[in-house]
Amino acid sequence: MGNIIKKLSIGLVVGGALVGITRALEFPFVFQMMFFGFSIFGAAVFMLLDAPSVRTMSGAKSVIAIVVFYIVLCTVFVSGASMWPQFDPEEEKEKIAKLLAPKRAATEQGKAEELIARTKALDEQVKALEVRLKALGGDQQVAKAMPLGGAPPVVAKAATGDFMKLGEEQWQLHECYNCHKLKGEGGKKRGPELDNIGSYLTADEIKQKIFYPKSFMAEGFEKEWEKGKMPDKFKDVMEDSDAMALATWLSTFKNTSVNTPKPIKKQ
Amino acid sequence: MKMWQHSLVAACALLVLFGGVAYGQVSDMPSVEFPYTGNRTAVWIVAQLHTLFGALVLGAPIFIVISEWLGYRKQDLRYDRLAKEVTKVTVILFSMTALTGGLFIFVLLAAYPQFTTWFINQFYLVFTVVYPLLFISGAIVLYMYFYMWDAWKGEKKGRHIALGVLLNLIGMILMFVIDGPTSFMNTPPKTEGVSPQDFLVVATLWDKIANQTWMPLNLHRIDGNVAFGGFVTGMIAAYMYMGAKNQEERAYYDWMGFAGNLIAVGATLFQPFTGLLLAYEMCDYDFSFCPYMMADQLSMFFEMQGAMIGLMFLGMNYYVWLSLKRIEGVEKVRMTILAPITMVVFPFVMMVVMNYYWIPDPMSLAFLLPLVLVPLLGRFIPFTVSARTVIKIGFLMVLVGDAIWLTPHGFAATGAKMAAEVELPEAWNFLGTMPAKLSAMFTLVFVTVVNYALYNRAIKQGTILWGKIDFTSQFVLIFLAFASIWTMGLMGAVRSLVRKYFHTYNLIPDFTAESFTPTLSYSAWWITGISVVFFTVVSFAVIVALRPSDSKGHVPEGSPIPARAK
Repeated sequence: MGNIIKKLSIGLVVGGALVGITRALEFPFVFQMMFFGFSIFGAAVFMLLDAPSVRTMSGAKSVIAIVVFYIVLCTVFVSGASMWPQFDPEEEKEKIAKLLAPKRAATEQGKAEELIARTKALDEQVKALEVRLKALGGDQQVAKAMPLGGAPPVVAKAATGDFMKLGEEQWQLHECYNCHKLKGEGGKKRGPELDNIGSYLTADEIKQKIFYPKSFMAEGFEKEWEKGKMPDKFKDVMEDSDAMALATWLSTFKNTSVNTPKPIKKQ
Repeated sequence: MKMWQHSLVAACALLVLFGGVAYGQVSDMPSVEFPYTGNRTAVWIVAQLHTLFGALVLGAPIFIVISEWLGYRKQDLRYDRLAKEVTKVTVILFSMTALTGGLFIFVLLAAYPQFTTWFINQFYLVFTVVYPLLFISGAIVLYMYFYMWDAWKGEKKGRHIALGVLLNLIGMILMFVIDGPTSFMNTPPKTEGVSPQDFLVVATLWDKIANQTWMPLNLHRIDGNVAFGGFVTGMIAAYMYMGAKNQEERAYYDWMGFAGNLIAVGATLFQPFTGLLLAYEMCDYDFSFCPYMMADQLSMFFEMQGAMIGLMFLGMNYYVWLSLKRIEGVEKVRMTILAPITMVVFPFVMMVVMNYYWIPDPMSLAFLLPLVLVPLLGRFIPFTVSARTVIKIGFLMVLVGDAIWLTPHGFAATGAKMAAEVELPEAWNFLGTMPAKLSAMFTLVFVTVVNYALYNRAIKQGTILWGKIDFTSQFVLIFLAFASIWTMGLMGAVRSLVRKYFHTYNLIPDFTAESFTPTLSYSAWWITGISVVFFTVVSFAVIVALRPSDSKGHVPEGSPIPARAK
């Protein structure tokens, strides 16, 4: 018992000191608690080191001991894993659906699915028309207002806005923010900050960089360029129009107050 | 089980395997929907079970032959008995490997018929000729090895050991062959300026097998399988120790646990580095793997990995601590004061070094190599400390190493969701970086090496009282086996999940609704469940293989003897 009290006291004192120091250093609360937890865990380890020997078991007693031990292990491992912050798959599902949509459409199955979906949509439109025609007594206006399978009229301004939106969406879908900082968000110095990229490169040049990462090298990122850190997969996984939308969107960033490294033409 | 029964099981399994491959050639099959688990998890369960059994039947023979050879060289019958007992368990589990392998192909075909057909066609020669031939050869040699044990003893022992070496050679080639398709799914061959689809058309079978992560995966698995074999041997020893009827049996199984653990620890020390090499090659193949693993959807999987490895290193060192307690004369064992001093400064020096000279920069070696000189320099320093003090300081540094490893950049599931209130302060960001994690890794390895070196010195200077070990140590052995299997499952899941929404990265997309990253909690449930199933089967095999014969005429080996007398 003396052993436990002594080690626990030391654990509490060290833990308290760690909390005090980390608080003074402005660590978030969760980190303060983590360091406190380490200290108490350390005390438990040292308690175990000086714990008295366990008596040898045999027969049914040892079988029960093993089973109980496995149950404890399973509980600790599962609950331990569940205590870490959990990634919400719903966020990714939407992204994946968008990313795979063009690929799916290109497959035989995708074509068949698209055909079925379009047929279903047409069926529903026909049914709706029939209902309205019956109600109106056969008015031709309805057919005028709802052309079969017709696309809504395209407005140039709206299309430009959609194109920019598509570009921004590509930024999110391909998780460019993991390496590049933009608007003060993302990037862990793995790649250059891009807030002023529009002052250096045109949309076409940015697209070239996305598809052929070796075509330009950002000043100060010689090592990364040499190692080919920017993946060269985008020409294979992105649609041409999506890449163009992303490049066009990026080319609008001309914030000269941000130190975006100058790109040097390489190929 | 008799030989014919083993052969029957293996033959059925091979039939399933061949049948699966043949069935895979039928085009346009609709996929089956597995209830409750879903298709991906169904494949996950059988694939992981197959990998676990496979790892054991490939890893255990390495361990077995080393043990048999040691027994022959030292003329110590305990090694021979250990080797034979582990072989008995391996023979039973070999059938399980074949059965789960066949089941794996069938579940894969049922769940993902189009992809599986495409995949089999990519490696047709491997799946229909090379792999089955190696598997059959492995089965024949394993059974020969087991059933010739008593016939080839004495002067013919060398012949038997050679057969064991042949078994390992086949096993090794088998693993290298199947690692080709496995690693291909992560890193299919590519070349600059050509799309993966176009390159695949001209790629040879060798190009597909020898892809960028093939050799790192081979190395990681060889190392992992040896460690795994050792830990499972330790677990078998723990079971038998707990069921031992007399002191002589306890002495033998105490020794068996010690031997299994020693081999396992030796192999485990290399695990972080071969794992790092694999991750390095993956990131080199496509850098987007790196943030996905370390800073995004899978980052918390690596936190859990850190926790598991930390616990395992604590377990390995705790076993040494408990083992020391049963050595008479251990109180006289002392070590140079340089050892604990180096242990204390080590993580902090390494953290600075790794920030400037990233591995494999040769300059980082310049700081590591002087460590080799510590024992030599220690001879010129008159100050020494007791074994207990060194180990206690070692424990403190293992805890510090664990704390460094576990300190995340922030408590958020993805880097994109990182808010200031859960993120490390800017000035302390280095604690969450790879150099810090590497320093933790080196610290854990270094401390464990020192502790085992000390243990080695203690058994040379003192007398081991076999069978007198603290009973807690048997739970430590079981814990180490379970934790290593659990960690294997976790990292296997990570290796598969880095493919994101592809069956084969950038080549074959997974259009199903299950192609997302599951939560760590969900994964942990399944990993635990699979580990429990595996343990239940292995425990059953141990009972079947070893219980009835435990008292049948073997020479008593376990009486307490001075270690130096060996």
